[in-house]
Amino acid sequence: MTAPATSELSGEGIVIEGLRKRYGDTIALAGLDLTAQPGEILGIAGPNGSGKSTMVKTLAGEVVADEGSVLLDGTERTAEELAGEVTIVHQEPQVFLNLTVAENLLVGREGGKLLTRRIDASETDLLADMGLSAHTDTALEYLPLAAQQRTEIARALAQEAHIFLFDEPNSALTEEESEDLFRRMHDLADSGCVVILVSHRLHELVVHADRVGMIIDGQCRVILQGDDLTEERVARELVVGVARGAAGDGETVDRDAETSRSEGEDGSVALRLSGWMHREGGFTDIDMSVGVGEIVAISGVEGSGARALVHSLAGFAPATGSLRVGVGGDSETNGDARSVRAATAQVGFVGANRAENLFFNLSVGENLLARLSTDICDRLGLLHPRTLRDAAEHLADQFRVKAGSVDDPMGSLSGGNQQKVAIGAATATRPRILVLEEPTRGVDVGSKSEIYRLLRQYADPESQLGLPDMEGHGEAVVLYCTEDAEIFEVADRVYVIAQGRISGELNLSDYDDVESFAADRVRLEAGG
Amino acid sequence: MTNDEPPTTAETGGRTLSRLGGMGLQRIGGLLGAIVIVGFVFAVWSDWLFLKPGNLAVMIRLMGVLGIIGFGLLVVLLVGEIDLSFSALAVLSAVVMGKFWVEFGWPIYVAILLAFAVAIGVGLFNSFFVNIVRVPSFIVTLGSNTLVFGFTLLVSRNTPILAQELPPDPEEWQLRGGDYVDAAEYTFFRALASNYALPGGFPLQVIWMAGFAIVFGVLLSRGVFGFRLKAIGGNEQAALLAKIPVRRYKTMAFVICACMAAVGGLLDFSFISQVQPNQGGTYLFPVFTAVIVGGASLAGGRGTVSGTLLGALLLAVISNGLGLNATGAWVQQMWLGTVTIAAVVLDQWARSRQRGESLGAGLQDLMVRFTRMNSRR
Repeated sequence: MTAPATSELSGEGIVIEGLRKRYGDTIALAGLDLTAQPGEILGIAGPNGSGKSTMVKTLAGEVVADEGSVLLDGTERTAEELAGEVTIVHQEPQVFLNLTVAENLLVGREGGKLLTRRIDASETDLLADMGLSAHTDTALEYLPLAAQQRTEIARALAQEAHIFLFDEPNSALTEEESEDLFRRMHDLADSGCVVILVSHRLHELVVHADRVGMIIDGQCRVILQGDDLTEERVARELVVGVARGAAGDGETVDRDAETSRSEGEDGSVALRLSGWMHREGGFTDIDMSVGVGEIVAISGVEGSGARALVHSLAGFAPATGSLRVGVGGDSETNGDARSVRAATAQVGFVGANRAENLFFNLSVGENLLARLSTDICDRLGLLHPRTLRDAAEHLADQFRVKAGSVDDPMGSLSGGNQQKVAIGAATATRPRILVLEEPTRGVDVGSKSEIYRLLRQYADPESQLGLPDMEGHGEAVVLYCTEDAEIFEVADRVYVIAQGRISGELNLSDYDDVESFAADRVRLEAGG
Repeated sequence: MTNDEPPTTAETGGRTLSRLGGMGLQRIGGLLGAIVIVGFVFAVWSDWLFLKPGNLAVMIRLMGVLGIIGFGLLVVLLVGEIDLSFSALAVLSAVVMGKFWVEFGWPIYVAILLAFAVAIGVGLFNSFFVNIVRVPSFIVTLGSNTLVFGFTLLVSRNTPILAQELPPDPEEWQLRGGDYVDAAEYTFFRALASNYALPGGFPLQVIWMAGFAIVFGVLLSRGVFGFRLKAIGGNEQAALLAKIPVRRYKTMAFVICACMAAVGGLLDFSFISQVQPNQGGTYLFPVFTAVIVGGASLAGGRGTVSGTLLGALLLAVISNGLGLNATGAWVQQMWLGTVTIAAVVLDQWARSRQRGESLGAGLQDLMVRFTRMNSRR
């Protein structure tokens, strides 16, 4: 690859000093210090909610830190300057899908006042380097994601950018495409650019990064390099960091032997899948069962099918096979739309994205009752303010939602409380199975432990969560979760999905510490 | 933690709807104030002619039409969609009814049912393309608006339909020619919206409006129906996750809007006993403006019956006042345009003040939401 005409960075590269950022009660960055030098690939690892994304957004100029500074070439830059100088590449390229590759390259530098120019020789070379010459005049929407990403990089290079931040760039790429992308990262680094790689995949960090900074609780705790940079070491640092965070909360892991009943002990199965198959090929041949009182996690990397599997349990992903919900299997489905609807009517679902679970035009109380309105109306279909208020307050109380009143607008709550409202709303009708996708994503530590407690309580068949006058009770909880610390704390068992199949099943009572569990889970996640 | 950004302005934008139908007192007060001020200006300008019972009756009748059709539009806006076909449909249903009743001599009840069947058909047509084919409702109803208008011209052959009572003397009937309807049916039909029924010459349309206002008010502010409409309009994705039957509610919304348009069209027909097939677009913008001025959000999930009523009254006052002072059609059109834009700007301004932001941010927010609405699928 021809090195672009980068105005050379001095040896300092990019220096982050004492970056702090709060969102309401939540501390996202707590004095982050980090340096990335030209010519190296700096890896960034950290558990979800550690402050990684806030750091990325700060560097991208999307977020202005409360304190601290970012220096390029030794001088401090404002958010606006950063936005112009730092190129962020993530899984959704910021390109113009309706324009061709060449046009994308020219945007903002079209030349003349009236007519746009053609790409010049150096730009043609650049496209050739990026393996895009064949597509110069193709609109980006017809090209694969990898080519869109390469266009994004090419455009940045054409604009003489020399700081590249890759934020989980390959989570939607094939292995071959990923390899190609990594090769380009090395090329960029070799040509004197600063390259930062944020990734969940420890293997990639270890193979491709020169140094890996561990971000935990909004700080860079450790930087691993040389012989210290091994997958085991990164995993250990992550887990230790998370465990420290959890311990600081004062909540201990109380996996009561009694509550971790597994299937067979009393023969009662709350959920059983056999020959369960995604219609779109995300997963096949899933056989699993969840006992009454159990919390079962389903885990797997992005694209493994784990997420689709969890969606299918709630009827939000099309699947065939046999799904039985509830003790006694009173609703079983073989996959046709009607029977799936009947079976999944007993399943309450909370999605990963709070913006997709909540109604921000409604109040806290109305959100809590959103799934319920037909159950508490009178015969004419009318809702009575007092009934509504009582029910909403009952739920808000059970879920310890910290709101001034149930009339408060949804947007006034903190992230953790919003999540409690989302879960409270899903449990209001007392579904037999509660299915949650990344239940504590973006939630502060305090709310996390409360949510875990509520989930354990809900899985208990004696559970009184939900509204008192509703029929039925919770029988089990299924989570989609990829955080070892979370699975270790809340689940009884975990099914690990790799390439659309169950690659293994782990019983959490077999493990005494997160580290050994994490090692086994990661091994299964990689395909056994 | 890192995902824990405070909700974006688009998310916090919606005021809480839980209290008393969700209309801030501030807004009701603002609208009432505007109505009083505008009304006073017209009253003085017209040398108090504006406040004569006869004129008030005319004005209130207009408010009735705007309100009745507006309730239907409100339902569609609440669920997060848009309908541009209702105005053309109001005329089509009247034309269909007139055709069968006046020209073909069918019984009036059958003709009325046919008019509603056509309305329901158009509502289902709109919702089919929105729900199943997944075309943005703006585009679907822009198309069906024109389709309906074309169909109106076809059915009526672009000639007005006049409902006349069969005169007692058959010879006179022979002499004058044309189509006549049964006297009893004619009396019944004219009585639907007559202005003899109420003291002061107030037309019966007002009673219709009041009745619908109560039904819609209760359904929307207290009913599961309204609650779910607002939920779907506020966040369709979340409504799907909550297993609210989104498609069914959208279908109902389009059908209700179509039926209310038919009600408005038929009552108009009843009042003036004539339908002009080429007047399809008359109500489109006044009704839209009334509903938006009344606080309904184009982005969905926000709006009330009380606001729509006040919006309809304000529009009726402006329209009637300008008509009365004989300032020409162009003034009316320009006022209508001004009021529409001003209403939305004021609304954004009020909301951005609540959030302590600039007006620009509020308008940008509206644009983002509107773009999102139209590119959702």
